[in-house]
Amino acid sequence: MSSAFDFPGGIYPPQRKQRSNQAALIEAPLPSRVALPLLQHSGKPATPCVTSGDLVKVGSVIAKREGLISCDLHASISGTVMEVTATQVVIESDGKDTWQRLPAMDWHSVEPYQLLSRLNESGIVGLGGAGFPTHIKARVMEQHAIHTLVINAAECEPYITADDLTLRSYPAEVLEGAQIMAKLCAAERIIIGIEDNKPDAIEALQNALTPSLPIPIELSIIATRYPSGGERQLIKKLLNVNVPSDGLPADVGVLCHNPGTLLAILHAVRDGQPLVSRVVTLTGEAIEHPGNRWIRLGTSVREVLEQAGINLSGPNQSKLHQVIQGGPMMGTPLLTLDSPVTKLTNCLIAATLEELPPAPTEVPCIRCGECESVCPVALLPQQLHWYARAKDDDKLERYHLFDCIECGACSYVCPSHIPLVADYREAKSRIRIQRIETAKAEHARHRFEFRQARLAREEAEKKARREARQAQNRRSPTQASSSSEAIDLRGLRIAHAAAKASVKKAEKTLARVAQQDPNQSLDDLEMQLATAQENLRAAELQLAQAREQQPSKESP
Amino acid sequence: MSMMHASQVSSGIAAAVPPTANLMRWVIVATLPGIATMSYLFGLGVLSNVLLAIIFGLAFEAGVLRLRQRPLRPALNDSSALVTGVLLGVSLPPASPWWLIAVGMMAAIVVGKQLYGGLGHNPFNPAMVGYALLLVSFPTHMTLWSPPQELFPADLGAQIAGTLPTSQLDSMSGATPLDAFKHKGSTVLASEFWATNPLPDGTLSAWRWAALAWLAGGVLLLVKRIISWHIPVAMLGSMLVLATLFYISDPSHFASPMFHLLTGAALFGAFFIATDPVSAASSRRGKLIYGAGIGALVIIIRTFGGYPDAVAFAVLLMNLCVPLLDLYSVPRPTGQQKATPEERRP
Repeated sequence: MSSAFDFPGGIYPPQRKQRSNQAALIEAPLPSRVALPLLQHSGKPATPCVTSGDLVKVGSVIAKREGLISCDLHASISGTVMEVTATQVVIESDGKDTWQRLPAMDWHSVEPYQLLSRLNESGIVGLGGAGFPTHIKARVMEQHAIHTLVINAAECEPYITADDLTLRSYPAEVLEGAQIMAKLCAAERIIIGIEDNKPDAIEALQNALTPSLPIPIELSIIATRYPSGGERQLIKKLLNVNVPSDGLPADVGVLCHNPGTLLAILHAVRDGQPLVSRVVTLTGEAIEHPGNRWIRLGTSVREVLEQAGINLSGPNQSKLHQVIQGGPMMGTPLLTLDSPVTKLTNCLIAATLEELPPAPTEVPCIRCGECESVCPVALLPQQLHWYARAKDDDKLERYHLFDCIECGACSYVCPSHIPLVADYREAKSRIRIQRIETAKAEHARHRFEFRQARLAREEAEKKARREARQAQNRRSPTQASSSSEAIDLRGLRIAHAAAKASVKKAEKTLARVAQQDPNQSLDDLEMQLATAQENLRAAELQLAQAREQQPSKESP
Repeated sequence: MSMMHASQVSSGIAAAVPPTANLMRWVIVATLPGIATMSYLFGLGVLSNVLLAIIFGLAFEAGVLRLRQRPLRPALNDSSALVTGVLLGVSLPPASPWWLIAVGMMAAIVVGKQLYGGLGHNPFNPAMVGYALLLVSFPTHMTLWSPPQELFPADLGAQIAGTLPTSQLDSMSGATPLDAFKHKGSTVLASEFWATNPLPDGTLSAWRWAALAWLAGGVLLLVKRIISWHIPVAMLGSMLVLATLFYISDPSHFASPMFHLLTGAALFGAFFIATDPVSAASSRRGKLIYGAGIGALVIIIRTFGGYPDAVAFAVLLMNLCVPLLDLYSVPRPTGQQKATPEERRP
């Protein structure tokens, strides 16, 4: 059933998946202590709502969403909050593992807004590695007609097998999660895109595909080629549709979800279980018992690796060279083993020096063009390289630097060992900082507007309280108090509607920008949204107040 | 990412493309059939050219690097000077005097490459810079191609030392097929020309064998994915098309397409000279235009110009066009709208 459509370029790096896909998916032992970072998603960090000494159960909310693009955070073990800092919440276990679940839901019968608020309350983010809050992504159907939900099970990076094992262990559950999301965004069909190097997962899916499912599911097996798991690349491959460069998959009526995310969605909806653990691939030559484990969020990487059979001290120390979080192509090396497993950790590679040796010294580019032939976005990596080194930002944008998906295919094939993607990332962040600098005046104006809106709202609140007090004191309201000001109810209603529309618009822009470029600073947009919200609150108050006074005026 | 980049995986197992130094070494390996065939047919003077060019090339490279206060080892290890030496060496008439080779290599390495900033920064093909300089400066020496001869020609040492009087040189050399055809005169029909048997015995077949040996080396480069097919195919294709058009229009005056492809530096140039990635266009579309341009210029100069062969000039002229080609052949990234003419303007 593989399709004939294709994206340009691509590479065939060694797979190295056998090391971790042999063992069954198991539950890791409960950690005695977890450190939960407040930022485990794209957007703004959550705000802690517990203090040290509080008793929490598994699933208790410990930090609330802050702003629009953000996410709730839940305790992943039961016990006592030991420490709340600006960046994390530390919990010491009581060893009991008592749960606090939300009420179970029957997704067939509930309203969409109930599903959305459940996603919101459950702290679910995209578990493929980007960590975009799922409840925001699910709200695209407010602006876009979605026809296809794509289950992105390509898992094209070497080493990682978390989706593979998730699909093998929970095929029916993943498909049910997909049904929930498809229903929520009113998609007509679901397509599973999976690379042909996962025969067991494919078989499990084929067995789980029953004709009784309300929204039809199609299994599309694609050839193994990196980076077919890129969202845009997979959509091109499955549907032969190009997602516009400045757009989102939703613009072409497609929504992509990772199998792990869909499983978490089902658990949140069906069982009322918030996101407190995830499947992590533990692999690399320095590990004795590689495989996939359910790991509670916040468990330290050191503990996880030691349980997987790594010897970090003593004379028989393992030949560990570095630990990489994520895949070898796009992942990041961990600077310390004390960092915790988060919602974004899909894989931990404990590599020896022989396994992933450091890159050889860079030599000059000879313009061989190999990078161009593997680029899945059809960019000219080599020209970008020259312009990135020359810091020629105009040229970089002309050559579409921001279309780069940072897959690393160009660096992989470069015969001169030039760290191309590292250069592009540096250039991107430099340009982003410049944009912020130029937008500073704009930002200051937005901050000022926010302050004005906040003061107006406070004023309106004060006024409402005063009037309420006066009304109470007088018991029977006299005409004199309100007849002096003519109440323009219609005008207020229009203002209220306008304020509501501008909140919606600000939310839409923010969600869009955040999905397009997860690394972008969203402060300015969040500020504009907060301003709109303040304005809306003030308008609401004024309207409510006017409505109260209106009858008294009309019934003398 | 930063520290960890993809080539860490690649260096664990065989990578898709060999490292740059290996690329250069493969190019040298691919020239071996050509060098061997030419040495066998035209005598060891070919080999002496190559060896002298390599020696001068490495010496000039090291000298300039020292003056530029750059580390010697990485630049010498990348073997690019070696490749330039080999390519210029086989382009020169066999058993060229040492000073000719030295002047050529100085133009190639010092002026053509290092003064622009070294490997990767030269806008022109270094070997062709050297060749073009020699061709315009020392036309008598550059047109003295000896006819096919035994492996150890007499006076080899004296020729290389440059001590042989010019009169004796003239008697030893003969015209190349391209040269002879060019100077046949407009009143002589092609059929009459060939009937007079104008070349020393075996000259035409010797050039054909050499061309086929270069083709074999080129195929090796393609199979090993050292070069892409775009430039050679475009260059040979445009030569074939243009030569055929001329030939069909007037077979009595224009040479046949096969004559064009199998004599002179056509095949050597298509696989070894035009494909130099540093000075060629970079996008696939750009490479096709670049190759086609070289092929067209070669036929035009050979047919109408003052020189019998034209690969060097054609390559240098198209090198000049590369920045423009690169600018106008930017592929449209996936998901980008077709650029309007306004946006496309550089």
